[in-house]
Amino acid sequence: MRGASWEIRSFLLVSGVIVSCFLLVLLYLAQATAVSAAGYEAQRLAAQRDELRRQNALLVIESARLDSPGRVETEAQRLGLVRAATIGVVVPEAVAATR
Amino acid sequence: MTATISHTRLRVLFAFFAFASLLLSARLAYWQTVGRADLLSRATDQVHSDLVVAAQRGVIRDRNGAILATTVELRSLYAIPALMTDRDGKDLKPTVAATLAPILGEKAEVLRAAFESGAEWLFVRRRLPEDTAARIAALHLAGLGFEMEPKRLYPNGAVGAQVLGFVNDDGVGQYGVEGRYATELSGTPGRLVVARDPANRELALGLRTAVPAKNGDDLSLTIDLAVQNAVERELAAVVEREKASGGTIVVLDPKDGAVLAIASSPTYDPARVGAADAEALRNRAISWTYEPGSTMKAITVAAALDKGVITPTTSYQDVGYAVIGGRKLCNAQCKVYGPTTVTQILARSQNAGAVFVASKLGAADLNAYLKSFGFGQRTGVDLSAETTGIVRPLAEWYPVDLGTISFGQGLSVTPLQLASAYAAIANGGTLYQPYVVASRRDADGEHRTAPVAVRRVISEETSATLVTMLTATVDNGIANAAALKGYSVAGKTGTAQIPSDEGRYVDDAYISSFAGFVPAIDPRMVVVVVLEKPQSKLLGTVPAMNTFKAIATDALRYARVQPDRP
Repeated sequence: MRGASWEIRSFLLVSGVIVSCFLLVLLYLAQATAVSAAGYEAQRLAAQRDELRRQNALLVIESARLDSPGRVETEAQRLGLVRAATIGVVVPEAVAATR
Repeated sequence: MTATISHTRLRVLFAFFAFASLLLSARLAYWQTVGRADLLSRATDQVHSDLVVAAQRGVIRDRNGAILATTVELRSLYAIPALMTDRDGKDLKPTVAATLAPILGEKAEVLRAAFESGAEWLFVRRRLPEDTAARIAALHLAGLGFEMEPKRLYPNGAVGAQVLGFVNDDGVGQYGVEGRYATELSGTPGRLVVARDPANRELALGLRTAVPAKNGDDLSLTIDLAVQNAVERELAAVVEREKASGGTIVVLDPKDGAVLAIASSPTYDPARVGAADAEALRNRAISWTYEPGSTMKAITVAAALDKGVITPTTSYQDVGYAVIGGRKLCNAQCKVYGPTTVTQILARSQNAGAVFVASKLGAADLNAYLKSFGFGQRTGVDLSAETTGIVRPLAEWYPVDLGTISFGQGLSVTPLQLASAYAAIANGGTLYQPYVVASRRDADGEHRTAPVAVRRVISEETSATLVTMLTATVDNGIANAAALKGYSVAGKTGTAQIPSDEGRYVDDAYISSFAGFVPAIDPRMVVVVVLEKPQSKLLGTVPAMNTFKAIATDALRYARVQPDRP
């Protein structure tokens, strides 16, 4: 009877160890899967970030193109604008003398 | 008995499992220790990818931060013809070609022929404009895909092309700043080794070794985009009006040698370098030389004034020519002026007068001053392909050379050399090394370029005297067309003959130029305008002066320089 009890306890102990190991492996797999999924999500977000940066760079270039003095001049001519013939300049000394 | 059998079975079963576990553990321990490297190697070979991470090429900006050149990733369209089928296996190549043709501006037959050429994989178009790529992507055509490729973009088109240079298809900088600073701009590529799944996605728990790329340095130039634009506009206009074969304009800040603008005609569009001929790629301001003609008289007079052998009022009797080394050198059209001061020599641009001044100075001193002003040697400007020009060694001078060189014949200069020399006259006598890159920004921060004062070439007193004389040349002399309302201008015209391959001068063709600075006192810019073979011929200096005036008007307004005259 004592022998049977020992064997049952041993059996239960080994079974318990095996089940624990199994659960530990399951836990590890669950974590690994979660990390992998998070990794894929991080990659997707990184790709999205890179694409937004690229789109931003394209907009910066478009802005530079629109600001280009050559384009502005052409556009001004198209609108019928002309250069000012003269530009009045106020001399500070003359202004100061009147005060 | 039953219990005994049961116990025996249990023991056997237990022993079996214990042995099996031991065996598995041993095997596992083996693969985890002794066989680990082999397993890792085999697994790595299957899933790892080893990529070169391209470094981002640096951005080039003007002095106010406007972008002149930058790099972006654009989509290149590729095709895998074998995948151009529908679910039933029907060939879709003709359909794909017909759909793509109008978007790409290509004939459908050409695209179809490419798809049916037998290639497994081919580029249809590289580095597409973003809107075009987006239109194609939206069609979801079978067998087509996109790959990102870097492209150098120049948002101002051809403006500044000769200064900037370009980047070839291999990503290597050529000419200009792109060529001269190729190493700094390109950076250092990195490396990325990662484990990937069958869908080519990076495994978060996999192997990852990354050496980050070091991006190229950003450069800020001394170039002012607004001035550069005005200079290129005026050069293109005068070259067209005068039907000139070429031309160049240099604008310098005389205070430190900073290059504000350089234009050269013919020129090219950096976005379409393939369509440009070799001559258009040459920056004539630094890679082309010419006999400067009468603009050199200012240098001759500067040398003689500085040496103390003349004063502005030193006079001689002009008979229309001078005899030197047994040769008779005439004024333009052999005009006779009679009693003439040195100031009048410049104001009237008298060749015989320049010979008179040079004779007072002597060949050795003239040669020494030419070298001191930087002629016959590179200025050291930080652009690719600068040439030296020619000032022959004194030992090779014939007696007549003293005379001809005094008015700019028998030597050759680059327009930038002449601008640097005039900058030295304008700033009080110091020759500065011209420079284009004002600062470089890398991971450590900004590194500003310190202006380099090469040497003092004339005294401040000589400089002031010569400025007065050159101002008189514009106010009352031959360069009057360069006079600007509200501003004092100092300068000198030049008309040079063009040497032929036979050692003679080309008939009836000239190089017309004007070199000047404004305002004459406390100058903000030196401008050199050179026109090759203008149709105005001997009167070609007039369009050169008009061009100077137009540029100066724009640039002074833009820089808000207050008029120094009523």
